[in-house]
Order: sequence, then structure tokens, then C-alpha cells
Amino acid sequence: MKDMTKTNMGLIGLGYIGKVHLTNCLRLKNARLTAVADISKKALSTARKLGIINTYQDYNDLLSNPNINAVIIALPTHLHAECARAAAEKHKHILLEKPLARDTTEGKEILSATKKHGVKLMIGHDIRFCTKSQNLRAKIEAGELGEIQVSYATNISSGPFIHRAEADAPKPVPEWWWDKDLTGGGALIDLGSHMVNLTRWYFGEITDAKSYLGYRYNLEQEDHAVCTLKFKRGQIAVISVGWFSQQTDIKLEVYGTAGHAVVSYNPPSKIATAIQLMLRRTPSFYISYLNEIQHFVDSIQKDQQPQPSGEDALRDLEAIEKAYKNAIKLS
Amino acid sequence: MSLVSFAKVQNDDINSLKQTILESLNLVDYSFHKETKNVVIKPNMCYYWDYSTGQTTDPKFVAALIDLIRERISPSIDISIVESDASAMKCKYAFRMLGYEKLAREKNIRLVNLSEDENEEIDIKVRKYNFKFSFPKTIRDAELRINVPKIKYMDFTSISCALKNIFGCNPTPSKYKFHPRLNETIVAINKLMKFDLHILDGIIVPGKSPRKLNLIMASQDPVAFDAAATRIAGVNPRTVKHIVLATREGLGSISYIPKGELLETFAKKYPKKTTTTKLLTLAYKIATRTRLINEAMIEKG
Repeated sequence: MKDMTKTNMGLIGLGYIGKVHLTNCLRLKNARLTAVADISKKALSTARKLGIINTYQDYNDLLSNPNINAVIIALPTHLHAECARAAAEKHKHILLEKPLARDTTEGKEILSATKKHGVKLMIGHDIRFCTKSQNLRAKIEAGELGEIQVSYATNISSGPFIHRAEADAPKPVPEWWWDKDLTGGGALIDLGSHMVNLTRWYFGEITDAKSYLGYRYNLEQEDHAVCTLKFKRGQIAVISVGWFSQQTDIKLEVYGTAGHAVVSYNPPSKIATAIQLMLRRTPSFYISYLNEIQHFVDSIQKDQQPQPSGEDALRDLEAIEKAYKNAIKLS
Repeated sequence: MSLVSFAKVQNDDINSLKQTILESLNLVDYSFHKETKNVVIKPNMCYYWDYSTGQTTDPKFVAALIDLIRERISPSIDISIVESDASAMKCKYAFRMLGYEKLAREKNIRLVNLSEDENEEIDIKVRKYNFKFSFPKTIRDAELRINVPKIKYMDFTSISCALKNIFGCNPTPSKYKFHPRLNETIVAINKLMKFDLHILDGIIVPGKSPRKLNLIMASQDPVAFDAAATRIAGVNPRTVKHIVLATREGLGSISYIPKGELLETFAKKYPKKTTTTKLLTLAYKIATRTRLINEAMIEKG
């Protein structure tokens, strides 16, 4: 007999992050991953081996399954609007991977569809779900650092060029990543959206944004950027992002009138990861993704708005658009 | 025995590099032939790694080589830079990202994706194994073939240098299919597509971590060249299967006469991998490749 207390979930997209969501979904106590969709037969076969009964090559077939209450959309950015609209029409609650969309026009369309059909929309910003991020927010809210004036947020990695950062077998870069029309931008929208969301969570609304965009790799999109954000409450944040490094560095530094704090989200070393895997433990880097999905499912069951919301991500996108508009492009 | 030269890069601007490349060629008694009509240069492009990591040939080094060829042969000589698609790398993007598109525009040279080149199927035998390879027209027709590899540690072959770089001339994108017989495949391709000259871009080398080695090596013998490069990386060439096999197959000599700077000077500076690093990397790979991530994440839920 089916457990009615569990939320039936579908996962759309089994790329890099989709696979992380797949394994995490299987760990949730109050949800059941019943269906996945991906154009790759190989990816669907992997999902079947993990016990997923319903696998589809067309996500519309998954969305037509009336038993599914909620979906995770982990598709390339250019497919977000189309898929989210379709999911909303089928009355599925949505956890949509970041960034919300390629631009604010598409973002507004997504929000409008979810409102019209009364479904919940959450955007995947896993960094918010690290204990460290939550502790820092509590510290700032409690006034322990005084009033924050300046913040530096860094998110530097290999971006879509995953092999540069991993010793495992080479991985092809999915074709859509090479096309600016499909990504909506480069490192700033890809990695910067996380940091904009995080700083907004800490400091509130942004009133101005500027950026420098760098093109070391001669791509259409910037492969690195430095962006300055001015907040309504007076804080200034400098966001540095890049796809150029073999070593991932994700951190946030905040400086207030009474003190400062640094939070680092770096993945553990390969040695530590190897030990965790050998001991059959979940690599710590993936725990925030698990917490994120857990929050999404809990919010559905409690009929609460999951955070970060679609509106929240739209504000992020507005700031990013402003930064692109006020950009100085470096050759 | 073949000559292998070692020249120290004093300055890495294009003109100085050109002079050091020339010095390395003079040391091995190599001179360009005025009547050469076309040249193929095979740099090392590996995934989309930046040259600053030491994993790929610096386009600036290739620019210096092009200038030297034009100066010594003819300003109008036809020059092609060749590479092929690989399992995870597409040539068109590698050319763009690694700076070769820009170089081609500046120097008016051709970029050739060997996977899209006209080619001819050729049978070749190494030991008891028969191989069938596509021989790209651009390489087949070239009057001068120059190999510009890097020195790298590699999982399957222990060392990658001149011989292994020619493996990249195999136009088949799914190169992993050759991994079960990689040593034989490397030797077979080198037997088929013989390169005239091997020049090392050793300005930056990868090793344990990237380091400026400021070395240019040259030789007309790929086996001697690799034997010397292997020594620099702290590995005995007689333990590297494809080098030993290449010697047996008559591609060159594992012994060499060093010319120029002392090999030991560069060997001391090479960022060698320790046994501990090798073991930990291996442990990580085993852990990830056996899909323990998935299992652990599900079962520990």
C-alpha cells in the first residue's frame, strides 16, 4: 500500500546536478522519487538501476503523470521557462535549478505561470542550506558583527569545464554551455547568481550593480567577472566569479563595525572525499543539496512557501542584468 | 645514438623563444630545407586546460616556431596546426579557448581538425596486434611534420611526451576505445605518421603542480626525446612500456647523446609526484569510479 504521507516527486534532467539530486531524492524519508525524465537513454537506464520505475525521454510525459506532486527541474537554462510553465500548468510544485532564467522577461513568465496555477516555486541555491551560511546569517541578525559595511563573495571554479577540477575521467562539456543565447551569460549569471542570492539574503535589496567582464578563453560569454553591488541599507559587496581555475574556491567575507567573519564552502580535498567514500559516507559537499530538497518537500507538506522563492530569484536576476548593463568588457 | 638538446629559456617573449628554439635545433644539427612547401605542427591540446597549467602547448611557443619557420624557409610557406576531437574535447572549442584561433588569424595559418579531414584507412601491425587507422590527408601530404609536446604524468602510460602526443593525430574521437592496447596503439600511430622533428614546450610543466621549468628540448628521434623527457620527470624510460616498445619497433633509440644544458638541472626542478600523492589519487579514482558516491549517498540516508 502506498504511503500517503510521502510527496511523490519527479526529476527532470539528469546532467551533472541532476545526478546529485537523484541520489539525494532517494534519501528523503518523506518523499518518493517515482519518475525521472532525460533525453539520454543511458541516464534513464542508470536511474532504473537505482529503482526509479517511471522513466521518460520527454518531460511532458512525466508531467502528465497525475501521481506526481512536485518536480525538480535541472535542465539547461534556456529550457527553464518552457519546462516550468508546463509543470505549473500540470499543477506540480517546482524546485528549479539556478539561475531562474536567462533574463528577467523569462523569469517573470515563470513566476506568472506558477502564480496562475497556484503552485510553489523554489530556486536551487544550495549554499543557503549549508549550516555555515545559516550560522553566519544568525550572527549578522543578532548584531554580533555590528553593522556590516563591506562584503567579499568569491565563487571561482572550473565552471562547466568539470574535468579541469576533477581527477576522474574527462567529461564532455554539454553543447549548450558554448552558446550565450542558451546560457543567458557566463560566469556572472552562472556562479554569480549564487553569490547575489546569498548577499541579498544577508543584506537585503540591491540598488545598484556594476561589473567588469573578462574573456580569457575567447568565448561569447565572460569566463570571469568582478561585480560590485550597492545595497539599500548601505552595504557594498564585491563579487568575484570565474570559470578559469582548477581549484574551487567559494567563500564569503563580511566586515562589520564590531567584527568580521569568513565562511568557506570549499569542497573537501580529494583525499578527504576518498576517505568519506571508502567509509561509505556522503561527501560533505553534497549535504547542502540534500538539505535544500528536504526543505522543498517539507514546505510542500506544511503548505509553506519554500525559500529562496521565485520572487527572490527574480530580484537576483534584476541585479545581474543591471551588472551586465553597467559592464566594462575586458579584452 | 640520437642527439637530444636542452636549451634554457631566458625570456619568454616571442623573439627570445624563437632564438632559443633555433639554438635547440642547432644543437641537434637540424636545419630547415628551403624547398619545403608545407608544414604541419602538432601541439598538445588536452581537454580545455590552459597553457599556464603546463598541460597544453603555449600558443606563444607555436607563434615563435612559426616565425622561425617563415624566417628560415619562406614567409609564404603553408603552415597547418593540427589536432583531433577526443572523447571529452572538441577541436573547434579547444582551438578557440586555448588561443589557437587568435594565433591563426594573426599568423595567417590553417587550423585543421583531423577528425574532419579527408583520410585514408591504413593497416599497421605492432607485435601481434593488427590496427586499422585513418591517416589524415593534411599530415600525409605535409613535407615537414613538427611535434610540439609537453612532458606530463599520465595514468595509463606513466609518461606522456612526444610519442603519446602523436596519438592525438588519430582522427577517431572515441580515443578511450584504444586504452586497453594503448602502448601498442601509440607505437602503431607513430609508425604510420612519422614526425620529422620534436620540440618540447617545457616553459611550464604540470607534474605535481605547474612550475616554470624554462626548458626547450629538440630531437629528430621521438624515442630518444621521450627517454630524456622521462628522466627529467624522474622516471626510468626503461619502465615506460610504449618507449620500450617503440625502440623494439625501430622508431628510435632509447639511448641518446645530450647536448646543451645539463639534463639534471631541469630534472631537479621538475615538480615530481610523490608515491603518497600517486596512491591517494588512485584511491580517489577507485572510490569515484566504482560509483561509491551513489551507493554511499543512498544507503546512508
